[in-house]
Amino acid sequence: MSKRNNVDIISVIESKVKSDIIVQPGQLGTAEIVTSNGSYRDVIKAMAEADEKTAISAISGLDLGQNLGLLYHFRTSNAFITVRAEVPKENPKIATIVDLIPGATFHELEVADLFGVVFEGNNLSGHFVLPENWPENVYPLRKDVKANEVKLNPTKNEAKSVEDNKVVKIIIGPQHPALLEPEKFAISVEGEIVTKVEPRIGYVHRGIEKASETRSYVQDVYLIERICGICNAIHGANFVEAVEKILKTDVPPRAKYLRTITLELNRLHSHLLTLGHACLEIGYDTMFQYFWRDREPIMDLIELTSGNRVYSSIMTIGGVRRDLKETDIPKIKSTLADLRTKIPFYKHTYETNASIKLRMKNVGVLSREDALKLSVVGPVARGSGVDIDVRKDEPYEAYGEIPFKEIIYTEGDTWARMNVRMDEVEESIKIIEYALDHLPSGPYRVKAPRIVPAGEAVNRVEAPRGELFVYVKSNGTANPERVKVRTPTYANIPAFLKTAIGENLADVPPNFVSLDPCFSCTDR
Amino acid sequence: MTNAITWSRVKSPWVIHFNSGACNGCDIEIVSLLTPKYDVERFGVKLSPSPRHADVLLVTGGVTKQCEERLKRIYDQMPEPKFVVAIGACACSGGVFAGCYNVVGGVDKVIPVTAYIPGCPPRPEALLDGVVKLLNALSPPKPKKKSKQPQLPKEEIKPEVAKQETIPPIEIKPTVME
Repeated sequence: MSKRNNVDIISVIESKVKSDIIVQPGQLGTAEIVTSNGSYRDVIKAMAEADEKTAISAISGLDLGQNLGLLYHFRTSNAFITVRAEVPKENPKIATIVDLIPGATFHELEVADLFGVVFEGNNLSGHFVLPENWPENVYPLRKDVKANEVKLNPTKNEAKSVEDNKVVKIIIGPQHPALLEPEKFAISVEGEIVTKVEPRIGYVHRGIEKASETRSYVQDVYLIERICGICNAIHGANFVEAVEKILKTDVPPRAKYLRTITLELNRLHSHLLTLGHACLEIGYDTMFQYFWRDREPIMDLIELTSGNRVYSSIMTIGGVRRDLKETDIPKIKSTLADLRTKIPFYKHTYETNASIKLRMKNVGVLSREDALKLSVVGPVARGSGVDIDVRKDEPYEAYGEIPFKEIIYTEGDTWARMNVRMDEVEESIKIIEYALDHLPSGPYRVKAPRIVPAGEAVNRVEAPRGELFVYVKSNGTANPERVKVRTPTYANIPAFLKTAIGENLADVPPNFVSLDPCFSCTDR
Repeated sequence: MTNAITWSRVKSPWVIHFNSGACNGCDIEIVSLLTPKYDVERFGVKLSPSPRHADVLLVTGGVTKQCEERLKRIYDQMPEPKFVVAIGACACSGGVFAGCYNVVGGVDKVIPVTAYIPGCPPRPEALLDGVVKLLNALSPPKPKKKSKQPQLPKEEIKPEVAKQETIPPIEIKPTVME
């Protein structure tokens, strides 16, 4: 594992940008930098130059009444920086940062769609999250908009573009046998070679961020878990951690361990699901059935520990809702031991099987430079040799006390990304076993107040698909004022757009699945 | 002839799955159905890639405004007779997302629904139960043994049992959001 960079990013920023900034250490991550007069670009430029691992985590829009707030969240090698800028609501124009951080394209597009901020210099336009026939100049996340009274425009016929003779446009989705979820990709091909990919997300956009503003914090835990049915526990954990930061609640150690166990069980089933799904996409059905057969015992364990197969709903503000019975521990351990005996066979198959090698090796290669530039997260970044893992970088729950390896592959192809997940399955088993052996005694939850004092917090965790980010703002009432979730797949879309171009059309499905796309996460 | 068609339809219903705004919970449980532990193929159920070959449409998730048109189009593309199964709390009534600005509501606000399977998400066993109930509703009553030549039912049997099993859609007043 490579050494972590020791650059003190805050002093670098302070030395390079002297005027128009206020640094508030300890706020919203490592530090919050309040900028004015357009100095946010200087700050971001200074960060990008000082540390190659500077990447954008999210852009949160905020409705501040007269102004719209923009929070640019960045992760660097050893810090998490929030840069704050404001634009007037009357004329919400701000210069883009895509030229400094290319990975910011879609983050800006989302804020433009939901808040109506105009990013000057970002070439992409049009609806990305909202429906195609959403009325103009209505931005649902602004406070003065009654979004559920919005009437859609009548449906327009899709414009038929005049095609070049050589280029054929193939539309995949929204309903397609290879996609479990409704999303649209317009793929232009010249012969067999992909020349352009235009994504259109938003088919599963339910408006969870807006809905969470009208529900109480406790209701929001279950609402936010339902962003995604696969990695639900991590969404819940991420939100409750952010709220606990505002409340300054100390979670008992037993609860931390129990949360870690649930999160790792979640990761196990998610990774097995993807490993199987990738085999399905290359037409290797036998392996798909094997992976899914072995996933079922994990689902049974989730049911055993939480009472439900899919939605464990075990996270709550102040701890967990359910204790682990001593009598269940042997059952968990024996099931995990069974799974461990199967891993060598899987690894052997992934390494020697001709069809897997042909369809996955050297397919969708993402170089380390591109991975850094595009701000990708999770197994996609780790498969390209970028050592980012929130569990190591900024340990939460019990991860700081549990020894485990960070899995890095350097090939950057589909095969490497799948192997990162394969090895993480093994590490997850180790983490759960260690946590069960060292489970502290004591209470499993503390009482937390229902009313959260005014404040704001950011939190990030490592979901099965990569870094998951949440920003919570409280105004001192029972409901949050703003909740922003940036999910890992949203950050990984640019990687697919980059790697698909220049490759065979037939390689699109395995390459795409190797990102482990989850669009209910992406759209929210 | 009708009998033969009904027989083949019951013995091998082809289903198509459409996610109209679900969280993936129900969708993954549908895929679980196809895998060794639950193995819905033993009832002859096959996942069809195209709506034009499908008999049963499995819809998961409350319908988002972006998906509404598409769901209608898929329903129209299916050949008659067609059956729609709403899977999960969101597909039945909108569930936790009822009242969200981009959600129309349950599936029955857009297309007619034959059977509802509630749950968040419903267990694979519940899905199996729902599928078997739908198939039983389609199958003709067994011919009487009195005459040597069995009398074939002339009319096509409509899924009346499924209607009895139908859970009335719960009316949830949309939460007012400001």
